[in-house]
Amino acid sequence: MRLLSDEEHSAARRYLVSGAAWMAMAVLGGLFSAIQLFSPDTLRNISFLEFGRVRPAHTNLVLFGFVGMMLMGAGIYIVPVMLRTRLHGERLANLSMWVYNAAMVVTAISLPLGYTQGREYAEAVFPAKALLLVALLLLLYVLTMTVLNRKENLLYVSVWYVVGGVLWTAAFFPLGNVMWHPTTGALAGTVDAIWLWFYGHNIFGLFLTPLAIAIAYYVMPRVAKAPLYSHTLSLIGFWTLLAFYTHIGTHHLIQAPVPTWLKTISIIDSVGMLVPVMTVLVNLWLTTKDSLGNFTRSVPGKFIFAGAVWYLLTCVQGPLQSLPSVQRYTHFNNWVVGHAHIAVLGFSGMIALGGLWYMLPQVSGRRVYSMNLANLQFWLVSIGLSGFFVVLTIAGLTQGAAWVNGETVYRALPLIAPYMGLRLASGILIIVGAYVGLYNVVMTLRRGEPIEP
Amino acid sequence: MKMGPSVVILGSLVVIWAAFFSVVLVPTKTISQRPSEIWRPLTEREQRGRLLFIANGCTYCHSQYVRPQDWGEGASRIAQPGDYKDQEPHLLGSERTGPDLSQDGGEHPNDWHTAHFLNPRSTRPLSLMPRFEFLGKDDVQLLTDYVQSLGGRGADYRVARQQYWKKEAVAAYNKGPDYSINWLHSKVPDVWRNMPNPYPADEGALARGREVYQIFCVGCHGPVGDGKGMAAADLMPPPLDFTSLKGRLPEGKYIGGLMYYQVMNGIVGTAMPYFKKDLESAKIWDVSNFVAANFVGRTDYRTPPFGLDASYVTPPNPTLPYAPPKGQSGGP
Repeated sequence: MRLLSDEEHSAARRYLVSGAAWMAMAVLGGLFSAIQLFSPDTLRNISFLEFGRVRPAHTNLVLFGFVGMMLMGAGIYIVPVMLRTRLHGERLANLSMWVYNAAMVVTAISLPLGYTQGREYAEAVFPAKALLLVALLLLLYVLTMTVLNRKENLLYVSVWYVVGGVLWTAAFFPLGNVMWHPTTGALAGTVDAIWLWFYGHNIFGLFLTPLAIAIAYYVMPRVAKAPLYSHTLSLIGFWTLLAFYTHIGTHHLIQAPVPTWLKTISIIDSVGMLVPVMTVLVNLWLTTKDSLGNFTRSVPGKFIFAGAVWYLLTCVQGPLQSLPSVQRYTHFNNWVVGHAHIAVLGFSGMIALGGLWYMLPQVSGRRVYSMNLANLQFWLVSIGLSGFFVVLTIAGLTQGAAWVNGETVYRALPLIAPYMGLRLASGILIIVGAYVGLYNVVMTLRRGEPIEP
Repeated sequence: MKMGPSVVILGSLVVIWAAFFSVVLVPTKTISQRPSEIWRPLTEREQRGRLLFIANGCTYCHSQYVRPQDWGEGASRIAQPGDYKDQEPHLLGSERTGPDLSQDGGEHPNDWHTAHFLNPRSTRPLSLMPRFEFLGKDDVQLLTDYVQSLGGRGADYRVARQQYWKKEAVAAYNKGPDYSINWLHSKVPDVWRNMPNPYPADEGALARGREVYQIFCVGCHGPVGDGKGMAAADLMPPPLDFTSLKGRLPEGKYIGGLMYYQVMNGIVGTAMPYFKKDLESAKIWDVSNFVAANFVGRTDYRTPPFGLDASYVTPPNPTLPYAPPKGQSGGP
């Protein structure tokens, strides 16, 4: 194995496999967090497992390690295939993969040791962020050169989204992390919160979402064996996503001391998010609705279809919970945690896993070791996440109602204790799913039946 | 519309730039950086404590801004932009598994914080907070300094008040139980000190009081009310031994109003917090009855003076001028 391999699809394969490995790591952070929210003394006085240290490790490794790398792997497979060419710079893409993994290793070690910049989703220390940015810029270069040297004139919608996702992330990532302040990674005062949430919501909106949509646009018509329904809808979805998603960060700060006009914009654009979401989903639905049976027979198709359903749920919930009247009951409590999990694991994570099982044979030249295991992973994650979502939503509404009725945060704790137990139980299904998936990936690479060329 | 590379790349960059300009750069340039009336810079120790606060992820459970709707929970000051001047990074937070800390400075004395950081369940039995023993006492003191600074000038005033009364309370404690209990009682206004508990100490009330005691009081005052709870070792003056109130009650009989006042407002300078935000009035009367009945040996419910019986009281007060119908039981 060469570190900077020139073998076709080697970078895509390594990105996908890295994503599966980081999923297995990241869920452990979730496990340790969930245990402490149920039984805080279980892991007592183990400094690197303390809740406030493993929680950011969990979120960062899920966002950038698991979902980010897996989507990226699928994306850099899709682009050259759709352009009928090879990746223009396989070695550079491999270099990007190593640098990206180095960023994740630094993140995974430094956060539990207490080295953090303390801003949500921007906790990683400067070296990790610098490495991640280098990895993104390398990929951006490779993808741009691939597009410019393409043999297919037409750019399919998936290509827009993959190139866009990498380009936009490379643009907002250094801004949101205030990388010209390497020590704190922050600005001062309430302004810092505005910068942070511009960045924080763009991780979902301009990084995970476009890459996930790109994969859905690529895989779903293939599984359905039907052409994409509408080019016009693709266009509307693409440009409205960009126009609305970039404005909504301040909906995290509706009750905070930031300007009212900014809050108003964020709420209007949050509701406006229904346009790109519905456009994309309607386009995919009209493409697939006559051949839904194919999706029950294809495990990757199943993952991606489920991802689309979670996307619908996430993005109906999102606009609603941006409304101040709804936030009276949902702000600051577990409702939001439930929402975050269906967005990242339900929507983009399920699509990333679908991309993994769909692309892995293409990039490794071997059939998936066991589609039954992949199917088992699908059900473990689906059932675990459904339970997780229901339980946290109930817990959140319970907290919200208690607070609105004048109870203190402390008084509401016994009310949510049973849900914290159920959340741990649901989470364990997801964790098992992550390890079943990793095992299946490793076995595919080692023992998968070679595909005859 | 033909989506060539230049449209996708340059077009989308224009949209992002426009958004970044309007919702990030414009507010950055237009938000006032003037400090609020409570703002002050942090000291060197407080700054170090703040770094520990960040390093241990305290922000994931503790927000640092009072929202307009928190008024219902007893908040009295909504967060202002000027409160956050120079705070880099901001620590507004996004979730509350613990209380908001933006105005927490001086709500408790330092020894309460020590006990709470070392084992949060010693002072708040249902807390989900991790223990911070692993940081060591020095870092716990730095964290305490930081938390005591939250609320700026308002916190400074509250901390000074804690320190003043801490000296008085410790001096009183050192003069023995007779003196210190008398001192404690002298800090409660007459009308409260000589007030019997107006609520019946019936089975339901005592059960409610017992639950409140377990959720709020047991960590310091202990399961048998002798003041030897888990937190006691770190607290000075130590928590009150309720059994020592026997024979030392005001007028030899009153305890209800006295306890109500102390639970509601706390005893500043000691680790006894105020519970007016956590407990509504009926629960405070119930826990007063529970403590009196179980640890002091008598409750002053049905000690004069009293007014009309409330209509729910069963059985009625036998000293009032009416009797239950013949053949039915009466009396407490």
